[in-house]
Amino acid sequence: MITATDHETTYLEAISEALDEEMEKDDRVFILGEDIGPYGGAFRVTEGFQEKYGEWRVLDTPLAESGIVGAGIGAAMMGMRPVVEMQFADFISCAFDQITEMAAKNHYRWGAAVPLVIRAPYGGGVHGGPFHSACPEAWFFHTPGLKIVAPSTPYDAKGLLKAAIRDENPVIYLEHKFLYRRVKDKLPPDDYIVPIGEAEIKRSGADLSLITYGAMVHLGLEAADILAGEGIDMELVDLRTLSPLDKETIMTSVRKTSKVIILHEDNKTGGIGAEISAILAEQCFGFLDGPILRIAAPDTPVPYSPPLEEQYLPKVSDILAAARQLATY
Amino acid sequence: MELTRPELLQLYYYLRLTRALEDRVTALYRQGRIVGGAYTSHGMEAISVGYALALEPDDIIAPYHRDMGAFLVRGMTPGEILAQYLGKRTGPTKGKDGNVHLGDLSKGIFAFVSHLADNLPVAVGAALSFKIRGESRVVVTNTGDGGSSRGDFHEALNLAAVRKLPVVFFCNNNQYAYSTPLRLQMAVPDVVERAKAYGMPGEIVDGNDVAKVYQVAQSAIYRARSGEGPTFIECKTMRMHGHSEHDAARYVPRELLDEWKKKDPILKAEQLLTQLGYAGQSDFQEIEERVEKEIDAAIEFAENSPLPDPSEVYDGVYANPRVEVHS
Amino acid sequence: MAIDIVMPQLGESVAEGTVIKWLVSRGGHVKKDQPLLEVETDKVSLEVPSPNTGSLSEILITEGQTVPVGTVIARLEGSRNSVSDNGRREMNLQPTETKEELCLESVHYSPAVKRLAREYHIDLARISGTGAGGRITQKDVLAHVNKGQIQPTPPFAPKLVISPRPEQAIARDELLPFTPMRRSIAERMVESRRTSAHVVTVFEADYSVIEKVRRRLSLTYLPFVVKAVTQALRAYPILNASWSDKGILMKHSIHIGIAVALEDGLLVPVIRDADQKTLKQLAQEIADLAYRARTKQLKPEEVQGGTFSITNHGGFGSLLGTPIIHQPNMAILGMGTVQKRPVVINDAIAIRPMGYLSLAFDHRGIDGATADKFMTKVKEGIEHTKGETTS
Repeated sequence: MITATDHETTYLEAISEALDEEMEKDDRVFILGEDIGPYGGAFRVTEGFQEKYGEWRVLDTPLAESGIVGAGIGAAMMGMRPVVEMQFADFISCAFDQITEMAAKNHYRWGAAVPLVIRAPYGGGVHGGPFHSACPEAWFFHTPGLKIVAPSTPYDAKGLLKAAIRDENPVIYLEHKFLYRRVKDKLPPDDYIVPIGEAEIKRSGADLSLITYGAMVHLGLEAADILAGEGIDMELVDLRTLSPLDKETIMTSVRKTSKVIILHEDNKTGGIGAEISAILAEQCFGFLDGPILRIAAPDTPVPYSPPLEEQYLPKVSDILAAARQLATY
Repeated sequence: MELTRPELLQLYYYLRLTRALEDRVTALYRQGRIVGGAYTSHGMEAISVGYALALEPDDIIAPYHRDMGAFLVRGMTPGEILAQYLGKRTGPTKGKDGNVHLGDLSKGIFAFVSHLADNLPVAVGAALSFKIRGESRVVVTNTGDGGSSRGDFHEALNLAAVRKLPVVFFCNNNQYAYSTPLRLQMAVPDVVERAKAYGMPGEIVDGNDVAKVYQVAQSAIYRARSGEGPTFIECKTMRMHGHSEHDAARYVPRELLDEWKKKDPILKAEQLLTQLGYAGQSDFQEIEERVEKEIDAAIEFAENSPLPDPSEVYDGVYANPRVEVHS
Repeated sequence: MAIDIVMPQLGESVAEGTVIKWLVSRGGHVKKDQPLLEVETDKVSLEVPSPNTGSLSEILITEGQTVPVGTVIARLEGSRNSVSDNGRREMNLQPTETKEELCLESVHYSPAVKRLAREYHIDLARISGTGAGGRITQKDVLAHVNKGQIQPTPPFAPKLVISPRPEQAIARDELLPFTPMRRSIAERMVESRRTSAHVVTVFEADYSVIEKVRRRLSLTYLPFVVKAVTQALRAYPILNASWSDKGILMKHSIHIGIAVALEDGLLVPVIRDADQKTLKQLAQEIADLAYRARTKQLKPEEVQGGTFSITNHGGFGSLLGTPIIHQPNMAILGMGTVQKRPVVINDAIAIRPMGYLSLAFDHRGIDGATADKFMTKVKEGIEHTKGETTS
């Protein structure tokens, strides 16, 4: 069991803490997924949980994503607060039907809320290949009735999971597996949430805006430091919530800097960046002093071999090139 | 164990109400007054009426599109249902969804989706919540022979059996899934074979005999409530109309329909009531007239109801939204 | 054949001018009337248009230099006309090799640049770009705006409002070098005080009739006051005169100078023949002149020849002022802010929009009684104003 002490909490520990704290104070919260019981989950997020909460609140399920998401929906409608774990975000496609037809449309159709959370470890950089590295957000971004969050820091990870559990709506919680043990931070000991629907300026700047989320936030900050040395002051907007998008923060930033780069690890075509570009073109047209640039993975599945995956994933050098180009445009 | 007179009369009343309502829906459809499609359970009313009357008020049903009887037993009024068919604001979904895609948590009815068998895992989830909380409530869910081919059917049965959850799975085997006959739907003779494979007891019952359905339902529900886990009940019946009211169903052999017409559930119920000395022709007549009046009033209510305002299209995407949905 | 470009005389008593910025580089091609350079003289900053089409072959006076009026500051080459011709128009030569350079139609302006140009009424052709390929960037436009202290003003709101200076914490004393405008304002003010025998008389006017009329016509107070002043000047022409060695020169026409505040200075553009203009025309002209004063687009003749001046110091909240006469006039009227005050009418207290009017006059030529009679007439004109139709 991860106990909250005055130490630096990793991104993974932050998720674990959030789950633990919510389960402790609210009987309605229970978790279901594959191998989450005695095994503690594929990434050890739920290590020790079954000992503490018993096998009915930490439910090891058969290999049946659609079934367990459907079960989560039914339990949620009956007043529980289920948190369903997809072992890898890639497997969420098995539950696509239940998520998009049952969960997403329920409240709209007949007023029945579905306070369900689906946790999905996503993202590449771990040599996972095509079925253990995907970013599925765009499929669900397009579906009305869902909320999607994607924290980049331990603080946000904890706060957003709590917010997701307390939200009345189905929330897909995207935890980036690359960040699990690589980012850590001191967290406040008391209860806090990060509101869903609010982006955060992780770095303030005047010359151009970088809009991004997830692991790419850290790449962006690295690039921003290098660019600062070149006299280019880049602002970084961490979306934190993908749906609903915090359009206000995005547009305020772009109105300030007049130049924008959108960065995501997901494939380029039809990724969230495309929607943000459209919004900016529609609503901030008069404030653009340069073209809207997007940096994203190419339109291919995630490859396995290291040189291929490295080429596939956006890099700091991509950000630098785009930023320099825009700054001198 | 025989049924009492009030029990059987109540079952009969709901059979008649269901039949009358759906006949009216069919008539309206043919007059072009229904928005969209119409799906009825004509000839299969005994199944949904039978299982629904075996439930307690705080139990849950997760039906599919041929469960009109269950809606009525659980408290949906004919007026609301017709309002829904006419796309009116006074229907349970306020015009957001159509035909029998209706639900109401206060009446314990889960609104289903068109994707057959999606309702099964959701039903299992409700049962899971009862188990976790130690409540003695039960869920009954239903789907057709076609629905039993989908993955969600299997995932749901499996999960329910593994965890011994308080859910009863009904299957309305009416021998046709749209135009697909049973022999092209499965390689086993009975759907119940599939259920037994998951480690739960299965039964076959005459789906046109409301008393039998009711009794079988009662035992299965009692089993579930006692913590003994799920049961699978396959109801043998025949789909007397097309897949939907637009479907002439010429692929169904006439002889089959003629044969099953003789086994009409209302007819069978009347025979049983007469046989047991509970009721006679005049009672049936009286109930029929009562039911007709109810349906007449329902039509009037539905037709006088307003349509939703166009601006309502944006409402309700999120529960307790902080973000508004705009075009 | 080369034409001499000389430092122009911009203003009656201007003796010199400062080159602020060359808008065309040496060797650059200009079309006739295209702005050549920015010059500051007296209280005027403006752009000097090219007298002809050609190329700027020589730049003799560099930016920042101050030279007497008439000094040759550059040479324009390549045109068959010369300014000293008697204005006969001949076909202008357009050297083909430079046509592409200045083909402004193909220049791309970004949305942000276009928006700023609209808001600040900037002719983008006058800005040079520092962006890729010479593109005009947003920063270029903003730099241009900040340099000229241009405020975006809507056309029909001629309030003389200065945008607030950004706050600065001055830790030590700071020396501000004189701009040409500051220097000349300083000289003129002191000189005027030394020259005229300034006396101020103060009247108060009831603006309620104007209030009713002006909202209907969407006008500010100023056009009404101008109208009242012109009528009073007709009745008391000594106020519309100039002191000279030989006597008091009574001016036939009435040209009213309207003081326009700039961020670091003052300009007094003139409404010519103000007595012959309708309220609406006055309003339009006031707005236009104020605008162009702030955007450095006034022509030299527009700041000359005024016979009487009005300064609306009330625009900044001032109740009463003691303005300095704009030489060589004999008087100047200061308008105080209009605000509701309790006044006594027929022995009862009423609330009326009142404003003080301060006339500073030159007692060498005008006596107090005349001044007061003039002001009474102005007051009557304001208080009994009959609104003109907006035709």
